[in-house]
Amino acid sequence: MSTGTLSIADYHKKTVTNRLGLWLFIVSDAFVFAGLFIARFYLYGAGVRPELSQIVGLIVTSILVLSSFFANRGEVSMAYGDTKGYFRNTLITIILGIAFLIGVVGVEWQIAPYGPDHDALWSLFYTMTGFHAFHVLTGVIFLIIVYRNARKGLYTAERHFPVEAAAVYWHFVDVVWVFFYPALYLIGLPPI
Amino acid sequence: MNEEQKTMALQVGVTVLILLAALTIGEYFIGLFAPYWWAPLMAIALLKAFYIVRDYMHIGRVFAGDEAEEHS
Repeated sequence: MSTGTLSIADYHKKTVTNRLGLWLFIVSDAFVFAGLFIARFYLYGAGVRPELSQIVGLIVTSILVLSSFFANRGEVSMAYGDTKGYFRNTLITIILGIAFLIGVVGVEWQIAPYGPDHDALWSLFYTMTGFHAFHVLTGVIFLIIVYRNARKGLYTAERHFPVEAAAVYWHFVDVVWVFFYPALYLIGLPPI
Repeated sequence: MNEEQKTMALQVGVTVLILLAALTIGEYFIGLFAPYWWAPLMAIALLKAFYIVRDYMHIGRVFAGDEAEEHS
């Protein structure tokens, strides 16, 4: 059944179930990231970290935090019927997401002193950042699909669960980086 | 739904952004000058995650159930 044929009350009931499903997915995905996070400390403790550019780390982290802010603004705008605000803020979120990907894969990976086959620490670094970058990429694709559907007029202030889902997924990707950033860039010193 | 509620919801977003920016700068300098202080760095990460999950991801909506469809 198309959600367009549902009454507002039925749509809200369906949203409650959809929301639960979204969060179950997020929790299950979080376990994979948690495994990588624990592996980093289990193998190398808090004394050692990969030799990375601190400035690049700070810049990409700031970009992702800022993107979360605009994703929130986009969702709030749609929730209050401001579609122009939604389009503007979501477009900024998408651009910042792409900038983050360029920062990690296009810059950090290129200037890193070692490749993934150097040792377990570097292998973990590329796995953690690569797996996260893949989530950022899928988040950008998700945002673009929802943006395109919104352009077709599929969402309103009362019926916009996909907009909420895309934003929540985007924030989840940000939360993962909140933990990966200190684990990879801040805690410990590069091995001598 | 009114303009006042929307402004309040947007204001929450701005407040969280300011908090996240301040905490990120704080952890950057801790990492720079005291890289072995893993506990404060993890505490900052937890605090940042708390604000994002509560105010941006609206985790409260999951537990609000059917009757609450407000845009907190």
